[in-house]
Amino acid sequence: MTKAPSYRNRIELLQGTLDMLILHTLKWGPAHGYGIVQALRTRSGDVLQVETGSLYPALHRLERQGWARSEWNQSEGNQRARYYRITAAGKKQLAADVSRWEQMVDVMGGILNEADGGAA
Amino acid sequence: MIRLPKRFERRKDELDEEIRAHIAMDIANRMERGATREEAEAEARREFGNVALVRDVTQGIWRWRRLERLISHLRYALRVLRRSPGFSVTVIATLAVGVGAACAMFTVVDRVLLRAVPFVDANRLVEIGESPKGGAAFRESPFLDIQQWQQRSQALEEVAFFGSNSSKVWFLGGNDNAMHVSSASVSANLFPMLGIHPALGRGFAANDSGGSVAPGDAHAILLSNAAWRTQYGADAAIVGKTVELNGERDTVIGVMPAGFTFPYQGMNATGLPVVWQPIVLTPADAMRGHHQAPTYQCLARLRVDATLASAMAQMNAIQPSVSATYTEVQDRDNAASVNLRRYTDAPVKENLRMTLVALLAASGLLWLIACLNVTSLMLARATSRQREIAVRGALGASRWEIAEQLLMEGLLLSICAAAGGVGLVAAVLKIFQHGLETQFHLHESLTPNLAMVGVLLLLTAVGTLLTSAWPALGAARASIEPALRQNAPQQGTGRAHRRMRSALVVGQIALSLTLLVGCGLLLRTIYALRHVALGFRTEHILVANMTIPSYKFAGRDMTTALYQPLVERVKRLPGVESATLLTEVPLGKTFQMIFTFDASGNSASAIRQRALEAQFRAVGPEMQSVFGFQMLRGRFFTPQDTPASQAVIVVNRAFVRAYYGDDSDPGKIIGQSLIGYGKGRRSVVVGVLADERQVNVADPSQPEMEVCLPQITPTSMFYNAAEGRAMDIAVRTNRSPASMIPELRDILRSASPDLASSTYNTMDRIVEDSFGSQNLAATLLEIFGGSALLLSLSGIYGLLAYLVAQRRREMGLRIALGAQQWNVMSLVLKQATWMLMVGLCAGLAIAYLATAALRTLLYGVKANDPWSMSVAALVMFLGSLVAALVPARRAARVDPIEALRAE
Repeated sequence: MTKAPSYRNRIELLQGTLDMLILHTLKWGPAHGYGIVQALRTRSGDVLQVETGSLYPALHRLERQGWARSEWNQSEGNQRARYYRITAAGKKQLAADVSRWEQMVDVMGGILNEADGGAA
Repeated sequence: MIRLPKRFERRKDELDEEIRAHIAMDIANRMERGATREEAEAEARREFGNVALVRDVTQGIWRWRRLERLISHLRYALRVLRRSPGFSVTVIATLAVGVGAACAMFTVVDRVLLRAVPFVDANRLVEIGESPKGGAAFRESPFLDIQQWQQRSQALEEVAFFGSNSSKVWFLGGNDNAMHVSSASVSANLFPMLGIHPALGRGFAANDSGGSVAPGDAHAILLSNAAWRTQYGADAAIVGKTVELNGERDTVIGVMPAGFTFPYQGMNATGLPVVWQPIVLTPADAMRGHHQAPTYQCLARLRVDATLASAMAQMNAIQPSVSATYTEVQDRDNAASVNLRRYTDAPVKENLRMTLVALLAASGLLWLIACLNVTSLMLARATSRQREIAVRGALGASRWEIAEQLLMEGLLLSICAAAGGVGLVAAVLKIFQHGLETQFHLHESLTPNLAMVGVLLLLTAVGTLLTSAWPALGAARASIEPALRQNAPQQGTGRAHRRMRSALVVGQIALSLTLLVGCGLLLRTIYALRHVALGFRTEHILVANMTIPSYKFAGRDMTTALYQPLVERVKRLPGVESATLLTEVPLGKTFQMIFTFDASGNSASAIRQRALEAQFRAVGPEMQSVFGFQMLRGRFFTPQDTPASQAVIVVNRAFVRAYYGDDSDPGKIIGQSLIGYGKGRRSVVVGVLADERQVNVADPSQPEMEVCLPQITPTSMFYNAAEGRAMDIAVRTNRSPASMIPELRDILRSASPDLASSTYNTMDRIVEDSFGSQNLAATLLEIFGGSALLLSLSGIYGLLAYLVAQRRREMGLRIALGAQQWNVMSLVLKQATWMLMVGLCAGLAIAYLATAALRTLLYGVKANDPWSMSVAALVMFLGSLVAALVPARRAARVDPIEALRAE
């Protein structure tokens, strides 16, 4: 399968980071699936394109685990849409995910910088 | 049809709407930015991707999703099974037989062997009995000994005692008529020690020390729940009321909880509801010696940190000083040591335990045979469905889904079989009912319980795996392409597959042969038992076992007041040749008296005589004409033996042997005076009976002593022991004994209303019941063995018929090329013969090892009896040949033209 040209500059999400990004997005207020895709795309400067095939399973998984709740509501364009809202448990989970992520970035950064220094 | 909950359907709609909203918003957004509607729609759909895939993956997250898949498998399985009803019914019936047999046997084993005695920490309860030094005897003890143990043993937390004569019937007065109950007298600390407290009222008040009941409660009784319900209609205000027990007025102080009975079931021979009386000490309890003080059975609770062995060692350290306080040498010897045994071990005799375990194993074998049979059928079916499965695979079903589908079909079949099996359980338990009453004294009807349901579920699950896993995995592993490409019906499916099915058939033959050999051994045992020379006649004899309200005859001689007139009336019935009174018929199980001697001194004969335990019976002089036994020496009782004449007794040959030692002339004992009938009334031996079987058909003759019933008067020492407790009337008729029962019952009822519930039995039946455990085992093994035989024959037939169908073209070709019918048949028979030979050899080997478990049951035949083995093998062989002949003939009759054209 060939990739569409517009995807060329986008990066694939690391395993497990999608949940964290969704929860993070929901922290700013309730959002529907389309809204989350748009928000992530805008904030990443068009680099992140979340596949709907990953997004919806992820949303339903978050709901099943009690990290998000959903309800039907009217959107701006008078369109009925399903809005997801982060729960208290979800916030806790997000904090844990973020701190683990930062730790990971630190460790990775440390290792990679050291390798650069050694080569120089 | 099965439907998913509405909620699930709604959620599916919601997901669709969610996706539609996503796309709609995207379109609106794009149009706002200036795209035309067509462009926007196309772009939005492209970016969203595969809607169906997104929906599927998302639904996969839901819990319901897996359930939905299972349900769709179930739906499909139902359709498949309905489409081939013949196959489904065969499989369900086969599995039901196996599961039903195994569960029924489990229910019995669970009830008789596994279910613990229902007292708190029952494994710490021990019985204590005294015995001569190093002996295994289990004598009752007087209170003084028990008191010593209470005070001095550190291994025992509590020592309680009780007295019971479980075969005696008591009469509990009520509003209208007296109810038959059994009674035990108990010490005050017994029920608290068992951890059981009255559900209503209170227990017996304890005396200061020793655990006996305070004199204030001397006329108090405790009712069992059953007695309370039956006789007093569960009267909530019963406590404090006065009731009559054997004519004496007692106050009810409490009612025990439902289901509680003591002595524990299996030891209560009558199965009647129980009432408990208090043990209040009397001056006699302050004495020692077996003829002065009453004796009690002793039940104690071990301390948590004590073991049976440590307690026994400790008790035996105390015992010498306890027995030293006896004044008589013989009493001292008899109480020289102490034996302890766990209360939970007591109820079931060893050979009954073996019977049950052997039968449980047999039912397990039958179940296994059924499973092998069904596995073979499932394999055949998986082969014939290869096409269908390949198509499903080609349409995108994963291998796991295909395996799951096939397993689901297996599970469905197993569940149907389990339901059918429950019906069979009830039927098998009905066969057991009579045996349970005579062998285990279980008077309740067994019903499937929770434990059985557990076993049923387990067998169903394991059965499904056994029968379906192999075919399912095989089908899932098979490659799709070749199955689809072939346009002819499936040809041979490989050697491995055929070998597997042959192996299954061989296994069935081997296991069935094992069951058949066991069945043969028991049939020979039954035959041998039926042909034992009993020493008396049994045909045309009817026995009435009477329950006697002896308290109503206090102060009168029951023999002259009740029994004798009764017998005279019975003798006048048409068809009666003779009738006699006796305390217990030979081989009867309702009442047994053992007589022990007090020979003093230390001579060899005195020691032998002290060890002598003789069966004791009081019988009428007509007994000889009823039972027709032989006198070896001397004479039997005659009508001339009256209370006024010289007191006489007869003994049997085994008695003489035990009394005088071996090989002496039995006539030597005649004229000897062994025992007295009462004060100053010595008896002489007038005759010696030939040996007879008194207790068990399989046991050799035991020492026996008979006294003459008309000579016993209320002043005789045996009067209370014998007449007040049990009396049988044995009637010899020249018509069918069973047809006499109504007339006999009328006579008894008119003599005394309390005799109305006497029980009647023919002597033939009593003899049969005396080897009841063998009869039971034989009946069940006949059923199990027969079913196993049928199953394995159907297995052989099924496999060969399948092979013949597969090789139809080849057979047709052979015949077309000139093969004779016999050549074609021998092809099939050869296959059958080698399976049969391997199966028979394996089966004989297993039977040789397995039948050792039956050893305790067998009589007159050895466990590895060559006759039983060869007959069983022959039956199996001939049956298999017949089963093989049908497909073989079908092969021989293949029409070559048709077979070749079928392509």
